Amino acid sequence: MDLLSNLALGFSVALSPYTLMLSVIGCFLGTIIGALPGLGPSNGVAILIPITFTMGFDATQALVLLTSVYYGAMYGGRISSILLNIPGDEPALMTTLDGYPMAKQGKAGDALVISGVASFVGAFIATIFLMLLAPYIARLAYKFGPAEYFALYLLAFSTLGGIASNNQAKAAMASLIGLGIATIGQGASGTSRFTFGNLHLLDGIDFLVAIVGLFAISEVFVFIESHGKSSSIGVKLDKVTIPFRLLGQTFGTMIRGSLIGFVAGILPGAGASLGSFMAYMAEKSWVGSKGNFGKGDPRGVAAPEAGNNAAAGGALVPMLTLGVPGSGTTAVLLALLMTLNITPGPTLFTDRPEVVWGLIATLLIANFVLLAMNVPMVKVFVKILMVPPAILLPGVTMISFVGIYSLTGSYFDLLLMIGFGVLGWIFRKMDIPTVPVILGILLGSNMENALRRAMTLSDGDPSYLFSSPIAVVLWILAVVGFVAPIFMRRVIRKPQAITD
Amino acid sequence: MTGDRIFGAVMILLALGYILSASTIQVPLFPDPMGPKAFPYLIAGGVIVASLVMILRPDPEAEWPVMRTLAALVFAAVVMVAYAYAIKPLGFLVPTAIAAGILSYQLSPRPLAAALSGIGLSVGLFVLFRYALGLGLVPLPKGWLG
Amino acid sequence: MTITFRALVASAAISVFGTAAFAVECIAPANPGGGWDFTCRQIGKILYDIGQVDQPVQVTNMAGAGGGVAYSHVVGERNDDSDLIVAASSATTTRLAQNAFAGMTADQVRFVGAIAGDPGVIVVAKDSPLNTLNDLVEAVKNGEDVSFAGGSAAGGFDHLKVLQVLKAGGVDDIRAVKYIGVDGGADAITQTIGGFTTAMTGDMSEIVGFIQSGEVKALGVLTEERVPGFEDIPTAKEQGLDVVAVNWRGLYVPKGISDEQFNAWAEKLQAVADSAEWQEAMAANGLAPFTKVGSDFQSWVDDVVAETVVLSKEIGVIQ
Repeated sequence: MDLLSNLALGFSVALSPYTLMLSVIGCFLGTIIGALPGLGPSNGVAILIPITFTMGFDATQALVLLTSVYYGAMYGGRISSILLNIPGDEPALMTTLDGYPMAKQGKAGDALVISGVASFVGAFIATIFLMLLAPYIARLAYKFGPAEYFALYLLAFSTLGGIASNNQAKAAMASLIGLGIATIGQGASGTSRFTFGNLHLLDGIDFLVAIVGLFAISEVFVFIESHGKSSSIGVKLDKVTIPFRLLGQTFGTMIRGSLIGFVAGILPGAGASLGSFMAYMAEKSWVGSKGNFGKGDPRGVAAPEAGNNAAAGGALVPMLTLGVPGSGTTAVLLALLMTLNITPGPTLFTDRPEVVWGLIATLLIANFVLLAMNVPMVKVFVKILMVPPAILLPGVTMISFVGIYSLTGSYFDLLLMIGFGVLGWIFRKMDIPTVPVILGILLGSNMENALRRAMTLSDGDPSYLFSSPIAVVLWILAVVGFVAPIFMRRVIRKPQAITD
Repeated sequence: MTGDRIFGAVMILLALGYILSASTIQVPLFPDPMGPKAFPYLIAGGVIVASLVMILRPDPEAEWPVMRTLAALVFAAVVMVAYAYAIKPLGFLVPTAIAAGILSYQLSPRPLAAALSGIGLSVGLFVLFRYALGLGLVPLPKGWLG
Repeated sequence: MTITFRALVASAAISVFGTAAFAVECIAPANPGGGWDFTCRQIGKILYDIGQVDQPVQVTNMAGAGGGVAYSHVVGERNDDSDLIVAASSATTTRLAQNAFAGMTADQVRFVGAIAGDPGVIVVAKDSPLNTLNDLVEAVKNGEDVSFAGGSAAGGFDHLKVLQVLKAGGVDDIRAVKYIGVDGGADAITQTIGGFTTAMTGDMSEIVGFIQSGEVKALGVLTEERVPGFEDIPTAKEQGLDVVAVNWRGLYVPKGISDEQFNAWAEKLQAVADSAEWQEAMAANGLAPFTKVGSDFQSWVDDVVAETVVLSKEIGVIQ
């Protein structure tokens, strides 16, 4: 009953004509952004945040628009994976393994439709689970004091670090750099630190500046370095029909992929990359030697697409209920919420039910909009893929500049953004993940405050940090999350570092 | 190899500077057993440990670009910095056309196409931002048109 | 550095957001959505609706340094602009008293009036053994493990409220009182209901829902009289603790305007306070009436700033 009334509240927000229109626009924009080579959900949403904010949308509207962009970009990313063999973001990586071979065999249309439907199934199942699960997690609110929050943040860094890089030292380094940046400015204590008498730094470094620099500007440098060449050869798309027989055959795959993906997504810090990876590997061993994986097996498209989208939905659970993002894109969404003065966490469900349930209803609607939009319009989106980088990337740069400038009105922030762009390029060269940097900037002051509050309440007794069962469990998970990948890596060699 | 080691060494120096700077933070008197210095110290300690790991067990060397490419990247960054300073006094249209044109040329060295991309992006984005999104951008320097 | 920064913010605000000539401008020193933004938008709208100004009031958001960016802009660039009003609250004067605006002081602008207040309140979890503010004071005196959570930083307004109450109750060593500043009133309540802290200190509007649902019990409000709608909560004064702490919502204007212009603003503000529209806006946002305008308000602010300085020195926020 509670669930139904909550959902009714959500739909009353999401079904207003204006919000619905924003959702459709968001899905469309998102699909385009996702389809463009070099742009994925994270940097796509990142460059849009400042602009959305300047346009004066209220919290719910901005959230609806940008989550629609997020979902749309995940759909769009698959178009470049299948046709160009270029994944828009890391979770789409697994889709290229069988999607591109299918396209080369002249079955590009089939692959696109299968991945579209699989995405829908994955996202839909995840949204249903999110809806059912979220209220229970929200009740944890009263069990989380300073010690529990500190352990939770630690867990976020250790698990995200574990998945984000092949080298734990580099992942830790990235987190620590982010945390260090977060100490700049006047924190909760009112003491100004590391400002060197500079008023610009009094409020600290805006995480939007860091996100746009690290994700969007660094992309420009990467492309200039490769002289704008894209090494892959595009595959032509002739006709798109709906392959009902294939869809029927892969339906079981989609359900399995969705369930695996959702569980992977819920783990704080794991996210969509792990979801698509696990769904693909599980399906491959489920099918066994009868499969044709890696050479154009439709199940090799259906499983990771369902897993990827289900994990994206699952990743919203820890982001909304605990304030801990599970992937680069959810970190960007967390930044969005914090910009809108909404602090995700256990109290969000009681404080701002219209935001949470409006978002959930929007996700349900966005799934249908995307399915309806994508199958007939796939040829339009394919055309967009042909925008040459020489136009696309200068465009991305200018949008980033205008977005940040209109938000903060400060040269200093533009220079910082360029600086983060250079840093992002160096980090990518050195295989240092950038997502933990963002996470550090986002969560740094919360983490420090949690620790300081714990020490205030316990008169400086460190054992207070381990004084509740929840805290102890979180500490154990954090240590395991940091150490386990070192051993797992010896068993499974990842194709490349996952940076989402 | 060398890349990781240099990075580690630079980070150790930065961490030491950070500790030095943290030690001068003014500490308020009301009760907070940790104070504003302890967390920075913890971070700096972590950075030093991670740096040492990078120095002692570096990854295989990344492929760094040749001098010419590096120069192109530095030039792109300089163009962006100049653009950041130009957009306010010179308005949106002219600096955007020039900066976008240069970046476009760097990605695909065909002068005419790059110039057209620059002008197209400048005008197109201006129309988009000003009229579709309602941002108050200034098109040209003050006194030219307003 | 400061000068270029001011010029930059001023010009950016004008070029990016555009300024209509001759209209009244209200600066909200924060991003859209917060209390200052609300003050500017509501007062601006009502001023126009009731005919006190003849053009719509233009609201400019100038976030930064907890209001410090807007403050330095007004002091440095707009010191004689009689068409400028700026949203302010207790946080503004607390920060000025604690020298958080890089050396600028409260006497560099004129505080023209407050037209609403958010009553200070102290609450405990519903199963707490404490029932009155005096129980709380006694517990602290007896050295029990008492801790407070509030929505502002340590040394901020919520923290000072508790210290004022304890001091009025005869607690000498107020530096030893444990206070944690969390992210807003709702979080502070959650920490208190969860048993991590003994009591929560905050503004009434932040916690109305929790009081109504019975999850917390209010030990006292820090107002002159009981708050309409919450008549069963006693004031601190009734309990023998002479403390009034209200988070006022109001405006300041530049220092350099004439007394006539200052008084004209005071009258306009009084007209807003008396309007039915404002009464509705207050009720919808959990605010209580608290009207002080003109030189009355200025001298009240001077007293509050002086008190805050004394208290802040005592706990060591400032030397």
